[in-house]
This record gives sequence, structure tokens and C-alpha cells, in this order.
Amino acid sequence: MASVETVTLPHLPDSPIQLSLFKNVQNSAFLRQQLLEGNSDFEYAFLDASILISRNQILAACFRAITDSLNNRLKSRNVHSEIVFDLSPNNNIAESFRRFGIQDTSSNVVAVKVLRNPNQSVAEHLRQNVQGEPVPLTDEALAEVKDDARLRKIYRLDQPKKGETAALGKEAETFIIGSMALKGS
Amino acid sequence: MATTTKTTPPALPVPFTTSTTPLTLITQGAEAHLYRTTFLTPTTPAALKIRPPKPWRHPVLDRRLTRQRVLAEARVLAKCAREGVAVPGVLGLSWEEGWVAMEWVEGRSVKEAVRGRDVGDEEGLRGLMRRVGGAVGRLHAVGVVHGDLTTSNMMLRPVGDGGEKGEAGGLEGEIVLIDFGLAGQTVQEEDRAVDLYVLERAFGSTHPREEGMFGEVLEGYMEAFKGSKGTLRRLEDVRMRGRKKSMIG
Amino acid sequence: MPIAIGLEGSANKLGVGVILHPTSTPPSPHDSAHSDEDSPQSRKKAYSPPAQILSNLRHTFVSPPGTGFLPKDTAAHHRRWVVRLVKQAMKQAKVKLEDVDCICYTKGPGMGAPLNAVAVAARTLSQLWNKPLVGVNHCVGHIEMGRAITGAENPVVLYVSGGNTQVIAYSAQRYRIFGEALDIAVGNCLDRFARVLNISNDPAPGYNIEQMAKKGKHLIELPYTVKGMDVSFSGILASVEELARKLEKSKSSDAPWLDAESGEPITREDLCFTLQENVFAMLVEITERAMAHVGANQVLIVGGVGCNERLQDMMGLMASERGGSVYATDERFCIDNGIMIAQAGLLAWRMGFKTTLEESTTTQRFRTDEPLINWRD
Repeated sequence: MASVETVTLPHLPDSPIQLSLFKNVQNSAFLRQQLLEGNSDFEYAFLDASILISRNQILAACFRAITDSLNNRLKSRNVHSEIVFDLSPNNNIAESFRRFGIQDTSSNVVAVKVLRNPNQSVAEHLRQNVQGEPVPLTDEALAEVKDDARLRKIYRLDQPKKGETAALGKEAETFIIGSMALKGS
Repeated sequence: MATTTKTTPPALPVPFTTSTTPLTLITQGAEAHLYRTTFLTPTTPAALKIRPPKPWRHPVLDRRLTRQRVLAEARVLAKCAREGVAVPGVLGLSWEEGWVAMEWVEGRSVKEAVRGRDVGDEEGLRGLMRRVGGAVGRLHAVGVVHGDLTTSNMMLRPVGDGGEKGEAGGLEGEIVLIDFGLAGQTVQEEDRAVDLYVLERAFGSTHPREEGMFGEVLEGYMEAFKGSKGTLRRLEDVRMRGRKKSMIG
Repeated sequence: MPIAIGLEGSANKLGVGVILHPTSTPPSPHDSAHSDEDSPQSRKKAYSPPAQILSNLRHTFVSPPGTGFLPKDTAAHHRRWVVRLVKQAMKQAKVKLEDVDCICYTKGPGMGAPLNAVAVAARTLSQLWNKPLVGVNHCVGHIEMGRAITGAENPVVLYVSGGNTQVIAYSAQRYRIFGEALDIAVGNCLDRFARVLNISNDPAPGYNIEQMAKKGKHLIELPYTVKGMDVSFSGILASVEELARKLEKSKSSDAPWLDAESGEPITREDLCFTLQENVFAMLVEITERAMAHVGANQVLIVGGVGCNERLQDMMGLMASERGGSVYATDERFCIDNGIMIAQAGLLAWRMGFKTTLEESTTTQRFRTDEPLINWRD
């Protein structure tokens, strides 16, 4: 299915990633449990889609996690947990998992997989194990499920002034990606 | 000897060592090399600024300075982005390998725009100068000084859906300040006045025929920045001192 | 052929030197020994053979460890030695009095009393021998001597001494200052640090710091203050003095000061090493910025601190990365001397410059960009 998309980030030709968005996920608790148990069949970053403003935000976290992995300086267990951590604007690892990682109640989930080689695919594994509706991962799809109030709180964005639209736009994305880049400094 | 031997730029840091994405060297300054490339997606143009290690510096000192400078620049850009000042956004960075990836700003520099303009269009130039002052005023209003204001470090970004984008010689567009390598956060009037003075000197030497227009820049500055009065008074002192007068070559 | 005697005494060194500029300007038509083929037009630009140093003598006022040189004592030293040095320099140069074209002396910048002591000597010689005076800017003297010795044509110049820290480049008949120390000079910072550690002033505090620094290996954090092309050293001096006191205190206590990483004790040598690494990195940085600004790849280091081999090495690495090279001189020329005053003075004299007796004053402040450098294109 086309909903599992393979992406090669500029400058990282040897670390292709697979991305997919699932809506109305029914078994989030199960998926989270696999991560907690360290089940090696589930080496994924499962992200709660409600705090994702755009694809670029996800890609920025992936870029940092993969390069930190190449430079042997991961702060967390592996490159997948690092992607979750790298979405956070601060250094608290446990908190970043609670905020950005899949929760038992998450209904919209982005799955990220850093592939070992370009021929690998996790599409079938995800199809079998994620009970949800796969949809293409687009900025529009994310916009439908994102929680602006939480995004504002987590990234300390100003509350909308009177007369302003509450929806977060391009400037917010720029600021969020900048905060992620500066994290840990 | 007039031979200017350009040495090859130093090796790139990981991950750019194994990159198959094109990296085009734009400028090679004393501090950093600036490349045009793409970042995050193959269709997102980006400016990649790399601060290579300086082999003559003690490695501990070198790491400390690289870290400080990468972070200072990115923090200023992040602050500006947050406060709504038009600057390129930060897309990624590494203080250990010494690089920052920023949004690529489309358009041409104010320097090019002024030089290549339709000389009859005095109103257009006047408006541009005001917008230049406005951009500096907004920057100062949020507590940031640029440190190296020149018309080369200001881009004229086309606005709208690109309808009039192709129009050569046009002075329309949004001013976007770039190259914050010497920038800092400050509340000192003196720092802001020196910032303006550097621009004034650079403007005079880059655009001698338009030097008389600098008053418009200050007009725009006053409109955009409430605290401009004190800064402009201080600018007088800085001019009087003229300490830097003989230093701009 | 033009010959000049130069007298320098702006700080604690008294220097006297005699220089000769071999002329290769085409001989006059009256010179029958010469063929007509070598007409003035045949050589547009006169080839200038290297200047000849006929003598270069120096006597240094060395103050006891822990002290600096005071203006009054330094001036007395210069007065005591200047006659002897002039006599010796003339004798060594083997020139006749009538062959000397001008008396060059340091007009400034420098310390008032020592400058005056030497100016008085220069005026006396001028009256006695009936020769014109040429007042010389000390910094220009350093630059011209450095260029003459190294052959660097149009370098960015780093001038570093006890009294000055400047990054200079030539443009339109001036030596323009692109960057400088905003407070104290780098040499002053090193000298005053040496006093805190009671390092000997013989032969020079900076030399002794350099030798000690070679044995240092632990780098301690100090402020690093570069603003554009300017630098500042007073904060660094205060910090490193604080470190020196901390070291003294830790020695007399049971808790020695250890390096956090290696666990080895911090030494006086480490402090010298730290200070040098820090301030020299700053100097190389502003020099590189000036080189990028003017598009130069040659760099010339002049002034007393310019003898430091670590500074020269660092600068060399930087210059080679820019596809150029570093030019430096040894202690005969980078430390204040009389020959450099003779060199710059003679260049000016050949362009018709003279200093009248009434004008033959001295000045403690004399910016490098003031004199007209009309002997360069």
C-alpha cells in the first residue's frame, strides 16, 4: 500500500526511512507495550500525531537522530527512541516519550523506521500489527489531527492574540524546528 | 605576486562527507564556508554554513569557540523567528561538527537591487531604504544586534505568488536579514548605535551615489522601533568618535 | 647613495642603527663610464636592491622581576647610553659623517620621557653635524623594516608589542588600521602576567613566558574577547592573574589544584601555555578576518611579541590554509631597534620629507594611519 512511504533525507543516502500515518488506531496500548518490552520485532519510532505540525518536523528529528547515531552520541537507547526524544525542545528523555511517543490512548500514530538497507520494507509488518487506517502522511493529514493547544504549550509558543486565527502556521513550524535543533545546547 | 592561490575547502563534517546531495560553495569567509544545498527534503533549498576546525587553535579552545558561535547564531535566528522578525529559519545544526542549516532566502541582495535599479525610480528607492531601516528597527526592538550590517547581508525576498517576481530592477519585496555570524543579544544603546554606524559606513562605501538616502533608512528605523530616539542620539556620539573611520577600507 | 642613522627609544630599548639604500636609479648623463643604452626610459621602475644594514645596536633597560620599567628610569637609561651607542654604531658602520643624509628619530607613539630623551639626542646630532631631522612613526618603522627584511610585498600586518596591538593593511598611501586592541596591548598583558608570577624580565618577560609555555600542557578556560576585528585583553589579564593567585594558594595548602581530566597538578607552565594559546588564537583570528576582508594571503608579523615562535607557527598554519604564507623577522628586527627608524625615515627623506627643528617634538599618541606613505604605489 502506498501509505508506507520510503524517504531518503538529503545528505543521508545510506539511511532511508519509512514513514506512515495511521488514523483511528485501536491497539496503541499493545504497540507501546512492545516498545517497553524491547521487542526487537518492533524497532520503530511510534509518534503521537497530535503534536506533529508538519512532515518537516518529523524529518528534522530523523535527521538529527540519524546523524547523532552516525557520530556515536545517542542520548537514548537507539535511533528510534532518539527520534522521539529529538522532537522535544528539552533534555528530559522520559518526558519526551510521554509527550511525543505513542500513548495507550493515542488514536493517530506516525510510524517511523530507519531502514538498514534500501531493500528492506516494514510495510507488511505494520499492516499486520497496527490496527488502524493507513493514510498518506501529508501536512494536510497532520493538520487534521494536530492539537494546537498542546503544541503551543509544549513548544512555548505564544497564545493567539485576539482576532488572530488559532491555527499554527509556517512561522510556528520554523520556530518548532529551531527549538528542536537547539535542544541540549 | 598577484597569484591568489585558492586552496580547496577543508574536509566536510559527518554526515556531509558521504552526501550525494549537491553542495555548492557560495562564499568562503574567514570563519565559515557557505554552501547552497537542500535539507530535509530534496526540494527544500537550504544554506549550509560550516565552521571548519582551525588547526592552529588548541583543540579544546577550538571546540569551545565553534560551539559558542554556532549556538549564538542559531539562538539569535530562533529568537527572531519567534518574535516575527524576518530571518532565515534554522533547519538543523550541530555544535560539535560546527554547522547550521538554514532556510534559503530567495531573491537578490539589497546591494544588487540598488545597483541594478532603474535610476529614475527615486520613490522606489526611497521605499526600499525605509524598509531596510524598518527591518533593522524590528531587529533592535527584540534585543538583537546584527554585528555586520551591510547591503550584502540583506535580501529582497519576492512577495506574493511570484507574479512580479521576474520583473528585473524592481525594488519590491520583503527585507530579510541574513548572516548573523557576529550577532548578539543586547540591551545596550551603544551596541545598537554601532550596528547602525557600521551600516551607515558600509552603505556609504558600497553606494556612494545613494549615500544621501541614508536618512530614509533612519526614518524607517524610527517608525519600526520605539526606543530609536536614544539609539540615534548615541549614533551621533559614535559618529563623532569616528574611531572606526579609517578602518573601513 | 642615501644613508641614514636611526635612533629609537620609545620604550625600554635604546636602539641606534645605520642603513644604506643602494640606488639603482640610472646614472646621470655626466657619468661617462656609462653607456647610452641604459637610458632613463629603458627602465620604467627603478629596481630597488635590498637595504644594507651597516650597524644595528641596542641596549635594553631591564627592571627587576616583579616590576615594570618606569618612564623616569627608562629615560635616564637612554640618556646614559645614547652617546656611547651612537659612537659605536657610526664606527661599526664605517661611514664618513659627510655621507650621512639624515638623522631619523622616533616621534611616537611611546612613553613620553624616553621618547624625549632620544629626541634631544637626535636634535643635538642634527645641530652638531648639520644634517636634517626626520621624525618617524614607530609603527611605520616596524612595518617598513619587516617588509624590507622579509620581502613581503603587500602583506596584512599584525603589529604586536608591549604598547600596540594592531591589524594593518596598506591602502591608498596609508597604513590603515583594520583592528586593534580596545584596551591594553597584548605585550602589556603578557608582561604584567609575568610580574604576577615573578618571571624574570631578562632578556624579556615575553621570552621567558614562551619558554615556560613550551612545558605547559593543560589548557584552562579564559575569556576569549574578539569583537569583529578588534580584541580586548584586560579581562583576560584579570582572569589569568586570578588563576595565578589560586595556584599560589593551592601550593601552600594541602589541596593541590589538579587538572580535572588527567588529575595532574596545574603548574605555572600551564598558566603560561594557557595564556599564550588563548591570546594568540585571538590575534590569528582577527588577522584572518582582515586577510579575508582585503583579499590578501600574505601576513607579516612585527613588534616584540612577533618573535614568539608559537605565534609564528599558528599564523603560518592559518596563512597556508589560505594559500599564502607568514613573514616574520628575528629578534634583531622585531624587537624595537634603531635600524627600523632609519629605514622608514630614509624612505620618507628620499621623497623629500624633513622635520624642522621647531617641529621635532615627540608625541605619546601617534596613529599608524596618520603618516602619508608616499613611497608606495
